[in-house]
Amino acid sequence: MSLVEYDVIIIGAGVAGLTAGTLLAERGKKVALVTAGEPTVCLSTGCIDLCSGADNPEEAIDALPAQHPFHLVTRQQIHQAVDDFKRKMAGAGLAYVGQTSRNRLVLSAIGTFKTTCLIPESMQASPQSEEGKIHVVTFACLKDFYPGYIISRLKNASFSTYDAGISTTMGIASLFEDENFLESFLLWVEKQNIREDKIAFPAVLGLESSAAIREKIEYRMERPVFEIPTIPPSMPGRRLFNCLKDSFHRAGGVIYWDWQATGAEKSGRLIEAVITESHGRPNSLNAQAFILATGSFVGGGLRADHSKIIENIFDLPVYTPGKREEWFEQDYFSLNHPIGRAGIVVDGSFRAVESRWDNLYVCGNILAHIEVLKNGCGHGFALATARAAAESLLEAGR
Amino acid sequence: MIKTDVIIIGGGATGCGIARDLALRGIPHCLIEKGDYAAGATGACHGLLHSGGRYVISDPVSARECFDENMILRRIGVKCVENTGGLFVRLPGDSKIFRERFLRSCNEIGIPTEVISSTRALELVPSLNPEIEEAVRVPDCSIDPFRLCMLNMKTSELKGGLSFTRHRVIDVLKSHGRCTGVKVIDMGTGEQKEIHGNIIVNATGAWADQVAKMAGSEVPLTLSKGSLVITNHRLTNMVINRLRLPSDGDIIVPNEAVCLAGTTSLAVEDPDKIRIEPVEVDTIIGEAGRMIPHFNNTRIIRAFSGVRPLLQSKKADSREISRSFQIIDHQNGMFSIVGGKLTTFRLMAEKMVDTIMDAFNLKKECETAHKPLDGQEELSGYPLSKRLADMKNIVCECELVTRQNVERIIEQTKTRHVGDISHRTRLGMGPCQGGFCTFRALGIMHDMDILTPEQSVGALRDFLQRRFRGIRYALWGDQLREEQLVEYIYLGILALGKTIEPG
Repeated sequence: MSLVEYDVIIIGAGVAGLTAGTLLAERGKKVALVTAGEPTVCLSTGCIDLCSGADNPEEAIDALPAQHPFHLVTRQQIHQAVDDFKRKMAGAGLAYVGQTSRNRLVLSAIGTFKTTCLIPESMQASPQSEEGKIHVVTFACLKDFYPGYIISRLKNASFSTYDAGISTTMGIASLFEDENFLESFLLWVEKQNIREDKIAFPAVLGLESSAAIREKIEYRMERPVFEIPTIPPSMPGRRLFNCLKDSFHRAGGVIYWDWQATGAEKSGRLIEAVITESHGRPNSLNAQAFILATGSFVGGGLRADHSKIIENIFDLPVYTPGKREEWFEQDYFSLNHPIGRAGIVVDGSFRAVESRWDNLYVCGNILAHIEVLKNGCGHGFALATARAAAESLLEAGR
Repeated sequence: MIKTDVIIIGGGATGCGIARDLALRGIPHCLIEKGDYAAGATGACHGLLHSGGRYVISDPVSARECFDENMILRRIGVKCVENTGGLFVRLPGDSKIFRERFLRSCNEIGIPTEVISSTRALELVPSLNPEIEEAVRVPDCSIDPFRLCMLNMKTSELKGGLSFTRHRVIDVLKSHGRCTGVKVIDMGTGEQKEIHGNIIVNATGAWADQVAKMAGSEVPLTLSKGSLVITNHRLTNMVINRLRLPSDGDIIVPNEAVCLAGTTSLAVEDPDKIRIEPVEVDTIIGEAGRMIPHFNNTRIIRAFSGVRPLLQSKKADSREISRSFQIIDHQNGMFSIVGGKLTTFRLMAEKMVDTIMDAFNLKKECETAHKPLDGQEELSGYPLSKRLADMKNIVCECELVTRQNVERIIEQTKTRHVGDISHRTRLGMGPCQGGFCTFRALGIMHDMDILTPEQSVGALRDFLQRRFRGIRYALWGDQLREEQLVEYIYLGILALGKTIEPG
């Protein structure tokens, strides 16, 4: 028995966990969140993918296969989740643009276009086709960005290279937080005689003050500036995580960092506590209800061994697509790898089917049948299911 | 049109060894390879420099050859051989009679052995199964087959030898019933050239029959597929063999930062159509796990297969067919050299070149056993401190390969293939299997302005597809987790899925 008893404990600090936690804390619940470490949102582009199967994400959602868990969320819940998200992010200085009725494109670091729904303002000026006239400013010895990929595909693009002496996106982003650096950088950019309509940067324009930094460059260069998301570690992903985390804290939520959940204390049809390992010793945290938002394989919510896939905190039944040799198709690019359907199957109340726990709710990327890459159901799906799971928990009077 | 004396087809260890031997004896030559060096069985093996112990009972002649060559290669190739030493471990239930025969045969053949207690064996290799009964120490080593080929080719290059990688022989030219040259096609550009020579050496391993047929000859081969798995770390510092008749999954070899375990032995028809079966992976892990129990829980980063070209005989199990080699004179200017094994490649090359010298009626002694391999002084030996000093420029964190290493290889080889860089630097051979560094290696090619728009994304797709073939059957645990991250990066963040590109 822990010293503090919470109303709700969330497991997982990704988009789903933090969103559900914030909503519940705002409704007066005493909420704690346990996480094994930084979530995968820090590795993401920061874009909010909702559903990429059609120009209109809402229509794309309707067209998803019947067992897709997006069908468990109402249209109103999706709208509310997105509106709430946009309002909170704007308030935190990380404005997002876009509507649930329209997908848009973001230029990738290899010159292809990624389909997404909501994008951070720093990507708003991203061109929508290969005709875009852009000038890419890159950084010497930055390991994870090579403008040649983009230049070779976009005919009207050119680039120039600034030597910041640092090889990581994180390192360069922190340089931009320094006004003196920004000023000397701007003097250099002004000398580059840029003719294109827009200026692109790898997503390294600051971490905490990214909006102000971008606006300053736009003002001085008199044209739109946009960021190109990089491979991990990704600054837009980290900015998103920071803002979600701050709004959870502001709502009164508590986060237990480096608390790896390893099991649960159970009684009858209820989960009583989650057992965690932190700093080498076990702890348990009691609560009235629990939300499992630990993500899929990358996030650590699911784990595969030679023959089966398990969820090892509550030992929930996991939908497993056949034997191990059937998890992947031969063609790497097929997007139909059956492994994408692995996960927890839930009912309309977001509780796992074929399990007896009345007070355990599941949301986000750990759910079965999502097929994240094929359907483009990313952070937007996490936002929507987190809201729906939290509302289901509240409705049950927990 | 190119004129030379000897045309070597095949850039595996045998072909590269022949090129070096010819170079040292002053014979002009030209080597043709359809992929990269070590692309066939040479690069798809354990990387084990046999002490001979493995063959003492089934093939004593091979065993002795192995031992002699082992001693030579550890002397001439210090930068590609690691003197790990090896153990043959006997598990409960393994035959004691076999042990006696093994020790007696080693003694007769002249392979030094030392029987050690299980306690001593566990001191040497703490990860061993504590239940082993005893172990026999033998002089096994590990060898880097890629580096071995490159170093052999270095001598050829220094002496003016020619070589064309990514060139496939499409026809053998003949005149009055004799082979006079070959017609080759550049696999990159489609351009064809003719190379004329007096003697053609067919050192194409599993493809030997296909090549011989172009000259109207044949080479009866039995093809035996062997599969291996690679772990993400070095579970042992010594080579571990099972003290029993050769069977599946009974050898574990440490190589740089990883371990390789295998093999299996399955007859196949076509060397270009091999795939690994999930059951092979499970068998190897299970058997290796009996010798080193941690094998069952460790991360398998890749599984792959190679094809052993074995001289045809009536024996049913391909493991019992002699692995000693044979030189076939097709009586038309073409010689095929088949069989053998990585450990004896130098001896095979020596005998082949002796035959060529006789044909040319020339006399010059073979020097390959005495002269150290050229080009080794350039290799740093890579002390960790040196590799980490330049952290900023490391593009492959798993194998500590720097941007400068990559740029040098691109400049030297003019390659557009990430695989060629891997073979020469180990880029992409660590736990992420090129997940991060391939994007970077191709990015560096972009910086050097040598990729066309078509090659750009096409090369990434091509690489990922090939990479997936190797890792597909080793996907569970942390390796699956990493694979999903890589998939998310390339298909999600970089939106590589929707672009259809040539190449």
